[in-house]
Amino acid sequence: MIRTIWLASYPKSGNTWFRMLVANLSSKDGKPVDINDLPERGGIASARAPFDYLSLIDSGLLTHDETDCLRPRVYEELASGAEDDEHDGPNDIPPLRFVKVHDAYTLTPKGEPLLAGRRGADGAIVIVRDPRDVAPSLANHNRGSVDDAIAFMNDSNAGFCVRTNRQHSQLRQKLPGWSAHIASWVDQADIPVHLIRYEDMQADTIATLRRALDFAGRPAGEDDIRRAVGFADFSELRRQEQDKGFSETPHRPGGLFFRRGETGAWRDELTVEQIARIEAAHAPMMRRLGYELASAPPLARTA
Amino acid sequence: MQFYRVSGLSVASEIDLPGLIAGAPGRPPQVTIRRGPVPESLPAPSASGPTWQIAGKQFLFHIPDIARFLLNDGSEIVVAPESEASVADIPIFILGTVFGILLHQREQIVLHASAVRVNGKAVLFCGASGAGKSTLAAALAQRGYPLVTDDFCTLTAEGTGAPLVHPDGRQLKLWAQAIERLDLAQSRGERVRASLEKFYVEPSEVFTEPLALGAVYALREARPPHAPGIERPNVVDAALLLRRNAYRPLLVRRMDQKVNYFHAATTIANVAGIFYLTRALDFAKMPDVIASLEAHWLDLRLMEQAA
Repeated sequence: MIRTIWLASYPKSGNTWFRMLVANLSSKDGKPVDINDLPERGGIASARAPFDYLSLIDSGLLTHDETDCLRPRVYEELASGAEDDEHDGPNDIPPLRFVKVHDAYTLTPKGEPLLAGRRGADGAIVIVRDPRDVAPSLANHNRGSVDDAIAFMNDSNAGFCVRTNRQHSQLRQKLPGWSAHIASWVDQADIPVHLIRYEDMQADTIATLRRALDFAGRPAGEDDIRRAVGFADFSELRRQEQDKGFSETPHRPGGLFFRRGETGAWRDELTVEQIARIEAAHAPMMRRLGYELASAPPLARTA
Repeated sequence: MQFYRVSGLSVASEIDLPGLIAGAPGRPPQVTIRRGPVPESLPAPSASGPTWQIAGKQFLFHIPDIARFLLNDGSEIVVAPESEASVADIPIFILGTVFGILLHQREQIVLHASAVRVNGKAVLFCGASGAGKSTLAAALAQRGYPLVTDDFCTLTAEGTGAPLVHPDGRQLKLWAQAIERLDLAQSRGERVRASLEKFYVEPSEVFTEPLALGAVYALREARPPHAPGIERPNVVDAALLLRRNAYRPLLVRRMDQKVNYFHAATTIANVAGIFYLTRALDFAKMPDVIASLEAHWLDLRLMEQAA
């Protein structure tokens, strides 16, 4: 078993930033790690290639639900030390895998945890961000309007890679609304959770990273942490994206992955109505996570 | 019993395999496919994964809710459907992974590739599921380069010359979106499975004779740091590229075929050429991609300059 930690988040909540921080803990030659050179191993849980590679089945010939039924077997296999298709192991198997995941923590149609519970990972670092900051960022990512992003965040049937008339590059990811997604992770009882708020990561990156690494069981010296925080600073990530592009940049002219990286930018990006719609849908989870509501008193429940 | 030729092998099957070249009954087949009992597991497996086990010359493969398959020494496939409802779903998996495993048992070089005919030679496009192999092959077929094979491609060595590619008449498999964007609705056949919007598409021409290999391209999406274009990797990278584009690369390792693939890559790099083809995954860019391929085929002297 390789120690495996999920980096779980709703999209656009700081997951990539966290991965950049971790990657820069082992930066070499006194230079920031190339943003296009993050190790693919542990890329994202919904990647199609490791599924096909280990199961020998062309996932493009399975329905989304059939694929989900087999996904736990693949995560068990990866956590037990199986190589994925990118690595020549066993020599380069790291002692700890951080694996990004956007899927909500759900059960398969056969009733077992999609991510294989304890057999798939030792724990989860769950990264959350104020939904009012997620919405404009998600709109940018989805190449849609802020209103569409808010509707997506309020939709209990939403997901990524959900279509059935084509093959998406990744496996389907259920994203049953911002609140329900976070609840699925923090309320599951299979694996321990360490919760990080994006806002705290911004306010005190060093302390937040140190606590997360302690949870993960990834020892790092104070100097390494300080250097990584500098190398994964938003301005550096953005500089690299503008200089040479980033593999995850949305496909469109002028598209940027590292867009603003601010907290509280929603105050000048959202209309009063948009703020009210987000808060009406997510007030209980926002309060639970310490995000103060702007629209007071809360909208009265209609109908 | 139905008779077919698959990747150059004579096959006798109790299960109908749609779209393959019919073979001649009479002589003993090289491969037999029959329904029968298949065990839950093999005794003392030497290797195993989430859906499969290897023990000696036996390979057990399980697709949950569809079927279990037992492959014996590269010559027999025993199929146990999980239910009568799943029977109709079985052929597409036999023609894919199951035959791929069998070819590995026979120590053949089998690539995850689609191929078209260019001036009498086979040009291969390799890539993982979803890389765009079938879509590119379909677009090239529309442009007058007929389909040789879809999804997987068997190569056999011919002394020191170019390896041979064995067509087996299999149909293209395309998603509804690709059929619509390539305007192929008139050639659309049955669904590959009742539950999927992926369809067989009739080829314009069917071949039975093997073709000499002309070139191998590995498909790559244009995303930083990879810019669009065609490039030739060095021989070490080419060897790794070929092995990673084996049909089920895990089996190359688990069935001790790495050396075979290394030798095949060396030969192919010398006599035909192994390249990266990097392009945007965008139907609108398809004419540009085909134009860059045709220019490359002129450079490689695979194609003559138009008079």
